[in-house]
Amino acid sequence: MERKKLQKSDLSRWLDRIAQEHELIGPSEDDGVIRFQPVESSAEIAVEFANSLIPPKSLFFPAVESLFSFHKRGKDIELEATEPLDRDRVVFGIRNCDVQSLSLLDYVFGQDLEDVYYQERRARTALIALACPTPPRSSCFCTTFGIDPLSSDGSDVLLTDVGDVYLVDVVTEKGEGLVSLAEDLFPGLTDDEARQLQPRPVEMKKVDISQLREKVEALWEDEYWHKMSLPCLGCGICTYVCPTCHCFDIVDVGSTLEGERYRCWDSCMYSDFALMASGENPRPTKRERIRNRYFHKFSTFPSRYGSGYACVGCARCLIHCPGGMEITEVIKDILAKESISE
Amino acid sequence: MQDRLHDIVRKLLGEGTIEYFIGYGAGSEPHRVVPCFVTSDHEVERLVWGPLCLQNLSKYVLQAKDLEGKAGVLVKGCDTRAIVELLKQHQIEREEVVVIGVACQGQVDPRTLEEVLGVPMEQVQGVEDAGDQFVVTIGEDERTVAKEQVLLGKCLYCRHPSAFEYDFTLGEIVPFSIDAGESEFAMVEELERLSVEERRAFWQKQFARCIRCNACREVCYACYCKECIFDRKMPRWLDKPPLLSENEIYHLIRAVHLAGRCIDCRECERVCPMNLPLSRLYKKVQKDIAELFDYEAGIELDEVPPLVSFELDDQDPFM
Amino acid sequence: MAVEGSETGGNGFEPKILMFACNWCSYAGADLAGVSRLQMPANCRVIRVMCSARVRPEFVITALSKGLDGVVVLGCHPGDCHYSEGNYFTRRRGLFLKKLLEYVGIEPERFQVRWVSASEGAKFADTVAEVTRQVKALGPNRPRRNAQ
Ligand code: SF4
Ligand code: SF4
Ligand code: SF4
Ligand code: SF4
Ligand code: SF4
Ligand code: FES
Repeated sequence: MERKKLQKSDLSRWLDRIAQEHELIGPSEDDGVIRFQPVESSAEIAVEFANSLIPPKSLFFPAVESLFSFHKRGKDIELEATEPLDRDRVVFGIRNCDVQSLSLLDYVFGQDLEDVYYQERRARTALIALACPTPPRSSCFCTTFGIDPLSSDGSDVLLTDVGDVYLVDVVTEKGEGLVSLAEDLFPGLTDDEARQLQPRPVEMKKVDISQLREKVEALWEDEYWHKMSLPCLGCGICTYVCPTCHCFDIVDVGSTLEGERYRCWDSCMYSDFALMASGENPRPTKRERIRNRYFHKFSTFPSRYGSGYACVGCARCLIHCPGGMEITEVIKDILAKESISE
Repeated sequence: MQDRLHDIVRKLLGEGTIEYFIGYGAGSEPHRVVPCFVTSDHEVERLVWGPLCLQNLSKYVLQAKDLEGKAGVLVKGCDTRAIVELLKQHQIEREEVVVIGVACQGQVDPRTLEEVLGVPMEQVQGVEDAGDQFVVTIGEDERTVAKEQVLLGKCLYCRHPSAFEYDFTLGEIVPFSIDAGESEFAMVEELERLSVEERRAFWQKQFARCIRCNACREVCYACYCKECIFDRKMPRWLDKPPLLSENEIYHLIRAVHLAGRCIDCRECERVCPMNLPLSRLYKKVQKDIAELFDYEAGIELDEVPPLVSFELDDQDPFM
Repeated sequence: MAVEGSETGGNGFEPKILMFACNWCSYAGADLAGVSRLQMPANCRVIRVMCSARVRPEFVITALSKGLDGVVVLGCHPGDCHYSEGNYFTRRRGLFLKKLLEYVGIEPERFQVRWVSASEGAKFADTVAEVTRQVKALGPNRPRRNAQ
């Protein structure tokens, strides 16, 4: 891996150069909400931000996407697949928690069954990560899940703010390609600089979660879930803003003669999420639904995919939950429970 | 006031009058105040009262119907309107709930406070009420800010800051009012002055931004239907994908369902993660209901809601 | 029902208009217009309902949001509703809904309420003609809406 530097004042030139070749996507503010969206030029990109409200998973697994359209002509049905992308994309400004969330989603959309829509978007998108400001926002707790907000793991290029310049870590070939679009902006570092220009270490409250899975699994029947679920309103905010939540629904919109098949986000917090045609609902109350969410994050997902926990500590759910549900507190509560075997 | 709150709740729990109390509690960070369900004596200390107690807790009274006993709840003046409506709409019985009313002195809008102070909420350690201003603690510093600068939009026009339907109060009822300088419907009138195309452009942009997380519905005291029209499968009223047409249907139908019931608590707007200007829609609903039928929701217990009644001499432009 | 299709106002746009007519007055009025062989444009699709109060605001909203060009609700004259008071509720809803729809940018001509009695065949025909003309002048409600 190669380390270079980029003057902060040159960032926009580089991004605008990229925008000439690819679709440029960055955190940009619209009606007070920061989300990752395509931009015409670097001027629309917010560089000073904690993190986006809607996680960048939406770029790979959109809130709503058309899978194909259908037309019935006589007895024939014509299907037309929707192309997920028309050109290669470059995402600027993604945080490392969100990069790591993509590696978790890769299991879901790639391990057992390959989801072509997701896969194509992943393959044709380069990630320019932006290391988090130090100190990061106070609610963040990614380090608890072993994520280093300054790491370049999983991205193609990483920029780290060290004052007037960004340190530029070029991680992959894709990343090299992007840097080579404006080679002259990226001088190497002198030995002195390499020593002096160091990111400030991140201090974050960190919880030992090595026993989390075991502890949560012992709590399946516990009364805890009832009481803790009382403030939950059953909206979908926590799941929609979560970079690792990935439930979806597939719905045909139109008539029997023509229409489109859409995939859209769904939420296990909705009362009708597990409802079956018979009328039976295996998760009839908030208690079962919220338990499901935490179980999925801390037990079901890791056991199914042999991965780590399905939470990256981005704190979005905690910040936006209208019921004041704080995942950090839930984790503490779970860890504080005596496990049954003891 | 907080002490008196603790005393009352302790007594209610101790006597077994209530099974739990729904109040405000400190979140894991000082600027975050969260709904707090207290079931036992040792949790009572968690209850707080101050200018960051934003939620309308009346919504939670609905789920307390499942209890064998009663629940207690803390309400501000504006929240009382939800209690009145829930009684009027036969959703709760008055004896099922113990209401502790408080004389609210205005609540802080965190988004506005961040803007006015230029400091993110996460650095705010506390906000105290001090007459016509708030004292905000940021690190070692204390900064004062005039109330009218940072109040929630609804507080600027509040006509009922003190709870008016209650079993207990937290001390004296202290009047509170702010001269907002313009009409409470100014934000509606501003849109009404635009052309129909401009209004369409405005709302289509907003409806397109909605991700249909349903938080605005779930937080609304009036959305208690056992099966919401939007969740019905047969017949299906709404397709699930958040397409513009579906989002528009969602918001307009909800607006119609709230006609004569919206109490201007603005919880829908406050919780919307996408920052949709929902109060501009619901203020319109309130304005039309007031102008057409001279009715305001959540004030009088025995007033008949306007869309389930009529007058023979209602205006009639449809001849 | 006699149909006249050529009066298109020149722009070639043929709006789709949904018309709800109550069984007891307005639908009978439509029938009368038909048997009297009154000329009417063919843009209105009539749905018979038992009473104008059967028309939930949700019907109107859904139709307009899904792209129909106009919605008309027809009922008995106040005082004449077969169910005594149904149309008084229709009137209140209509008053409210019209304002709401205008506020979000739907032209007032696209949603109308009219009272048409069983003997008012001519009024029915006039209403159809007038609404069609108005909606045609406005143009299509909006392009078919796709994903954001
Ligand atoms: S935990 Fe919070 S965000 Fe999630 S469904 Fe419940 S109220 Fe909504
Ligand atoms: S902190 Fe919340 S939103 Fe973020 S990854 Fe974990 S569960 Fe999802
Ligand atoms: S809370 Fe906001 S984003 Fe969610 S459904 Fe309501 S308007 Fe849409
Ligand atoms: S939107 Fe309408 S149907 Fe749905 S819960 Fe609210 S009032 Fe009931
Ligand atoms: S619509 Fe919004 S303002 Fe009106 S009662 Fe419901 S949550 Fe409150
Ligand atoms: S029956 Fe005609 S309006 Fe009621």
